Amino acid sequence: MRSSFSTESVTSDSRTPLQPPAATTAPGAPAFSADTAGLPSARSGSSRRSGLADRTLDPRTKLFLLLTANLMLFFHVTLTTQIIMVVLFLVPLTAAGRWRLTANFAVLYAVLTALGLLDPEALGLPWLHVVSALAVGATMMLPCFMTGAYAFTTTSASAFICAMRRMRVPETVVIPCVVVIRFFPTIAEDYRQIRNAMALRGIASGGWGLVRHPAQSLEYILIPLLMNATTVAQDLSVAALTKGLGREGEHTSRTLIRLRAMDWLAMVAVVIPLILDIAGVIR
Amino acid sequence: MTPEVYSDNMSFTYEHADTPALMNIMLSIPRGQCVVLCGASGCGKTTYSRVVNGLAPQFFHGAFAGSQRTCGLNPAVIPIDRLTPLVGSVFQNPKTQYFNANVTDELAFPAENIGLPADEIDRRVNAVAERFGVTGLLGRSIFHLSGGQKQRIAMAAACMLDPRLVVLDEPTSNLDQAAIADMRVLIEAMKARGLTIVITEHRLAWLNGVADRYVVFDGGRIARQYEADEFLALSPGCIAAMGLRALDLGPYRRRIAELETRSGAQRGLSPNFDGRTTPGSSQLGDEASSGMQSPEPLLSTRDLVIGYRGLDDFTRHIPDLEFHAGDIIGLMGHNGCGKTTLVRTLTGLAKPISGSVTLNGRTAKPRDLTHAGFLVMQDVNYQLFSDSVREELMIGLDETDPAVLAQANRVLVDLDLARFADRHPMSLSGGQKQRVAIGSALMCGKELIILDEPTSGLDRYHMEQVGELLRGLAAQGKTILVVTHDEELAAGWCTRIVNLERTFAA
Repeated sequence: MRSSFSTESVTSDSRTPLQPPAATTAPGAPAFSADTAGLPSARSGSSRRSGLADRTLDPRTKLFLLLTANLMLFFHVTLTTQIIMVVLFLVPLTAAGRWRLTANFAVLYAVLTALGLLDPEALGLPWLHVVSALAVGATMMLPCFMTGAYAFTTTSASAFICAMRRMRVPETVVIPCVVVIRFFPTIAEDYRQIRNAMALRGIASGGWGLVRHPAQSLEYILIPLLMNATTVAQDLSVAALTKGLGREGEHTSRTLIRLRAMDWLAMVAVVIPLILDIAGVIR
Repeated sequence: MTPEVYSDNMSFTYEHADTPALMNIMLSIPRGQCVVLCGASGCGKTTYSRVVNGLAPQFFHGAFAGSQRTCGLNPAVIPIDRLTPLVGSVFQNPKTQYFNANVTDELAFPAENIGLPADEIDRRVNAVAERFGVTGLLGRSIFHLSGGQKQRIAMAAACMLDPRLVVLDEPTSNLDQAAIADMRVLIEAMKARGLTIVITEHRLAWLNGVADRYVVFDGGRIARQYEADEFLALSPGCIAAMGLRALDLGPYRRRIAELETRSGAQRGLSPNFDGRTTPGSSQLGDEASSGMQSPEPLLSTRDLVIGYRGLDDFTRHIPDLEFHAGDIIGLMGHNGCGKTTLVRTLTGLAKPISGSVTLNGRTAKPRDLTHAGFLVMQDVNYQLFSDSVREELMIGLDETDPAVLAQANRVLVDLDLARFADRHPMSLSGGQKQRVAIGSALMCGKELIILDEPTSGLDRYHMEQVGELLRGLAAQGKTILVVTHDEELAAGWCTRIVNLERTFAA
């Protein structure tokens, strides 16, 4: 059934011819093409990314990477292993065309690692202990963020649904996960709106505003974000319910996912350093 | 033939609600009819649409009584997904009713859930995309589409499974005039295919000639039912008395055109702003609005070019504008003509590409504009930060200062919020939240108050209330700019109209 389908990629974007909308929309809809030009909303660049969509791994592999990142935290791996793993985690992110994200993660990791390596005693600055301890904690968390960002920013909701169903995950887990994935892009847009609203009220505005009053700012950002999230969650549930997301019985998918050689290679590549570390080979 | 929707003495009370949302509803909608449910906010029309598609009581819990049949099934007891292939639903907010990031996936979504084979899904996606004119959008990210396009996708997705009935809950409340006209074409096409259509709507004019029947709800009951010709023959006064929006927008559009030409003539805007000047229109304006205005404008723009760089560049030349204290200026034009960007520029949230904005006679930096102006966002939830209305008004101010406290109390009274002073802002209705946001602007001493679509999804009464509020603010000497698609608001309460769309052509 699924083999009849030519698309190998996770999303079908790359194969769908992208015609100019004005040429194909219905008569009486010339406003549409103009509409998109004026959209001031989130512009994360997914249209640009779409051409690279088939260079991402299978969603199951992505979840596996996320799992290994968590195991690293659990087993408290050595710095060498951590660096190897971070490099390995950043490769698929680069391959997916997320250059900026990769660069940001790489720089952040390098800076935090360097901070963690500082010797406050030798420098005669005992307060630096706090900084380096925090830096070490952050470097341990970063691999989870890297793999998480990779999994959630490069996968379509439908590919995730398909992957989880193939893994025989119960529907009670699938549906909340899908809702969460659907949420991420809205949070970015919500954040922008809230920051604008704060600027207009003169609350924590400007580049340093957030740093000067971190706790207060967090509250001012989180409250509207959460309040908005509850209404969005309700709207989404209602829409999904009427479209049969919760229906019992077999669901099909027009999105084809398949574990390819590259997926197995990626999984083996990240497992080897982890095993060697646990076995005590890497020190 | 059995009716597609049939209610017999049906009542529904939401959980935790004191009064029933629907009482003793008797309604029968035969196959192929297009029925409009109208009435003031809270009259029960949305609840009725939820009962029809099974969301109440299955998702919105509550006490259900009487009997209800939708496509021959009882939506109150059967699993809601039995209705999925029979009933398509479209909701109010275009932003929160799509589940997939990608247009193709979104269209495929209901078919996947129902378990159709992949090649059949593909066939249907293409067929439906063609029918709804969205073939060019296939594969694109829905996040980047306009509200009108999103709503079109929602309609297409609702029709993926060839339903017998389509339920639309205020589908146009966030759309501009052009997108509403497109929506009408889609509804006509659905009706031509023999679908039964149930629409709840505040804005009625766009449905003239499409709707077969109007059902007026009032306080949870059906007040009256009208055949289309009977309803359309009602006098505007009669429609207004029922709390409904106008059926004929003609007079409102003429008034808007008049307000537009007047702004050109009276204010001496750059000649390319609007060449047409109707004789006599300038005297009309002078008596109405010049009395209270100071000669010096609060804000004026000079050779302003707005826009943004990035993936999709957008630049736009803005004719020189002047905003005086006491003005209520309506900013109109279809989506994408730069209204939002202009508003962001005037409030200093975005930098102009070139040209300047003058505030009180001095060239203003974006920071000064942010300080002087305030924007009431369409989604006002983003701008309420505190856990009580009173605190909300005093954010950033010294709460121990008696002068500030006195001012807060005055603002509370002025905006009719005194009763809610200690309530959580999020527990208020949309209009009350709007007033809280305006209150916070008044507390900060803002001179320019901009409202983005303040009346979307509002019934006549609440729309008029917003209009009165604008007038009250203008009388206090504030300058008001309203971004709106609502012709009734613009015609009734604006003292001038600036249409960005039209200036584009010049």
